[in-house]
Amino acid sequence: MTENFARSEDPVVITRGLTKRFGDFVAVDSFDLEVSAGSVVSLLGPNGAGKTTIVRMLATLSEPSGGTASVCGYDVVRDADAVRSVLSLTGQFAALEDNLTARENLLLMARLRGYSKGAASRIVEGLIERFDIGEFRDKLVKSVSGGQRRRVDLAASLVVQPKILVLDEPTTGLDPRSRQVVWSTIRDLVGEGVTLFLTTQYLEEADALADHIVLIDHGRATAAGTPNDLKARIGDQRVDIIAVDLESLDKLTAKLSGGFSVAVSRDQRMISIPAPNELSDLRAVTAALSDDGALVDEIALRRPTLDDAFLALTGQPSHPTNDTTEQEEVRA
Amino acid sequence: MTTITRVDHSFNEALPARPARLRRFVRETALLVGRGLQTIPRVPSRLSDVTIQPLVFTLLFLYVFGSAIHIPHMTYQNYLLPGLIGQSLAFGVIGAGVATATDFGSGVIDRFRSLPVTRLSVITSQVVGQIIEQILGIVIVAGIGLALGWRPHMSPWGMFELVLLVLLGLSAFTWFGVLMGMIVKSSDAMQGIGFAIVFPLSFLAGTFVPISGMKTIPRAIGEWDPLSALVAAIRKVTQGTPAHGSWQLEHPVVSMIGWCALIIAICVPLALRRFKLSN
Repeated sequence: MTENFARSEDPVVITRGLTKRFGDFVAVDSFDLEVSAGSVVSLLGPNGAGKTTIVRMLATLSEPSGGTASVCGYDVVRDADAVRSVLSLTGQFAALEDNLTARENLLLMARLRGYSKGAASRIVEGLIERFDIGEFRDKLVKSVSGGQRRRVDLAASLVVQPKILVLDEPTTGLDPRSRQVVWSTIRDLVGEGVTLFLTTQYLEEADALADHIVLIDHGRATAAGTPNDLKARIGDQRVDIIAVDLESLDKLTAKLSGGFSVAVSRDQRMISIPAPNELSDLRAVTAALSDDGALVDEIALRRPTLDDAFLALTGQPSHPTNDTTEQEEVRA
Repeated sequence: MTTITRVDHSFNEALPARPARLRRFVRETALLVGRGLQTIPRVPSRLSDVTIQPLVFTLLFLYVFGSAIHIPHMTYQNYLLPGLIGQSLAFGVIGAGVATATDFGSGVIDRFRSLPVTRLSVITSQVVGQIIEQILGIVIVAGIGLALGWRPHMSPWGMFELVLLVLLGLSAFTWFGVLMGMIVKSSDAMQGIGFAIVFPLSFLAGTFVPISGMKTIPRAIGEWDPLSALVAAIRKVTQGTPAHGSWQLEHPVVSMIGWCALIIAICVPLALRRFKLSN
C-alpha cells in the first residue's frame, strides 16, 4: 500500500450483474458499474432505491446474492480483507462511539489500523486540524451537532488515505451550512486524487461534486452520464403545469404537445416542459394555453428536481405512489 | 481535473507492517475491549447496574425481607450472598444483550467490520468487555456482603473453584446475552425482554428463599432451571451447604458445568454465524 495514487483510466470499482435479494424483495437488480481511478461517481436516487445496499456490498458488509463486485482488483467476497484495506466507508448514519470524544474515536480508528500510540496521536492531531474539529475535540460525540459529527465520521474514514472513499449520503439531514463544509472537504479530497463514490438523493449534490452520475431506482441503473449530459436531457429550468383534474390535463396536453416537448405525469396531474430560456419559455407556454375550459391549478417555473430527472430520463417518476400522496398532503 | 499537491501531515505516517493474524486478533480485541471499558463511567445507567443496584438488593433483602425469612442452621447473610452472586451472573445476560443491541443498532459495529481488522475480534471484545464489567459488579456484591456479615467457609481450593465457576457462568451467560442482543437489535426491547425472563427466574432459583418451600409449579421450575443450578453451585462452594429436591440441586456443581457447557455449545456457534451473516 505504499504506491502512489496514480491516475489512470483503469476502473477501481467494477460490478457485473450485482444483485441483492432479501427474501422475495430484490433490492439491487443486476447492477453494472465502473468507477475509474481519480474520478467522482455519484449514485443518485430516491430513498429505498438500493443505494445503501450497493455501498454495503462494496464495503464487504453484506454479501451479494448474485453477480460480482471488485475493488482495486480484489473480489468483495473472496478477498474481503484486502478490499477493506483499500476502501473506506462513511455510512449514512454516522458510525461512531457515542460515549467517546471526537478525539478518542479517531484515536481508536488509527490504533485499529495498526498504528502505535505515538503515530496514532500524530495522525489524529493532523485530522483534527484538517477537519476543523479542535473546538469540540474533547466533547463526547453524542453531544455534538450533526454537522460536526459528520466531520468526525469523515475524518475517521481518512485515518489511512484509502484508494477509494465511499460516502453514503454524506449530507442527508445536514443544514445548508454544514452541507457546504462537507462539500468543500470532499472537493479537497478529490483534489488530492482520492477516488470517490458517493450516493445522494439530491440532484444538486451530484451535480456539484460528481463527474459521472448514475441514476438508480428500484435497484436498477436507469440512466448514466456526466452532469452536463444529464442536465441537457433534463433541461435547466422547467415549466410545470398542474391541472385541476384529469380531463383538464388531457386538454392541456393535447394543446401543448404540438409546440413543446412535454412530459406528463397522470399521477400528479402534471405537465412538465423544459425551459432553457426560462421566462420567455414560460411566456410562450402561457400564451399557448388559450382559455377553453381546461382548469389549471398551478403553473410555475422551477429548477429540476430528482423527480424531474427520473421523469425526463426514464419516462416515469421515481416512486409514483409516494409522490402522489405527498403532493396531496401539501395541497390539503 | 487539476491535481492539487498539498502537504498533509495526516498521511505522512507510513502504515506499519501487518503482524501475524493471531497477534492482530489479540491487539484488536484489547483495543476494542478498552473502548468498551472507557465508556462505562460515561453511561450512568451502566454504572448503576453494577454498583447501586446490587447494593440496593443486598440491603433490601438483608434488612427488609430477611427479617421474615429463616434458614435453618445458617445466618441469612450466608444464605443470601451466594444467591446474589448467582443473580448477578444471570443479570449479565441483560447487560450483554443491551450493550450488543446498542452497538449493532448504532452502526459502530459496521464501522469496525468495514475496517481491515479480524472480524472475530469485534465479537470477542464484546464478550470479554461484558465479562470484565460483570466481574466488577460481582466484586462489589461480594464486598458489600463481607462488610455486612457474610462469612464464606472456603479452603484455598474452594476459592479457586469459585473463581472458575464464576468465570464459566459469566462466559456462558454473556454469550447468550450477545446472541440475544444481535437477534433483538433494540436495546429497549432487550432490556424489557431480559427483565421479563431473568428477573422472575432469578427469584425462583433459590436466590432469596429455599426452593423446597415453594408451591408445586415454581418449585418444579426452580428444581430444574439453569439459574438454580448456578445459585446452588455457588452456595455449595462458598458455604458447603447442599440443596435438596432434585438431582440437579443435589449435584449443583456438575449441573452448573453441564448447563454452562450446553449454553456455550449452542450460543457461540449461533452468535458467530449471525455475526458473519448480519447484513
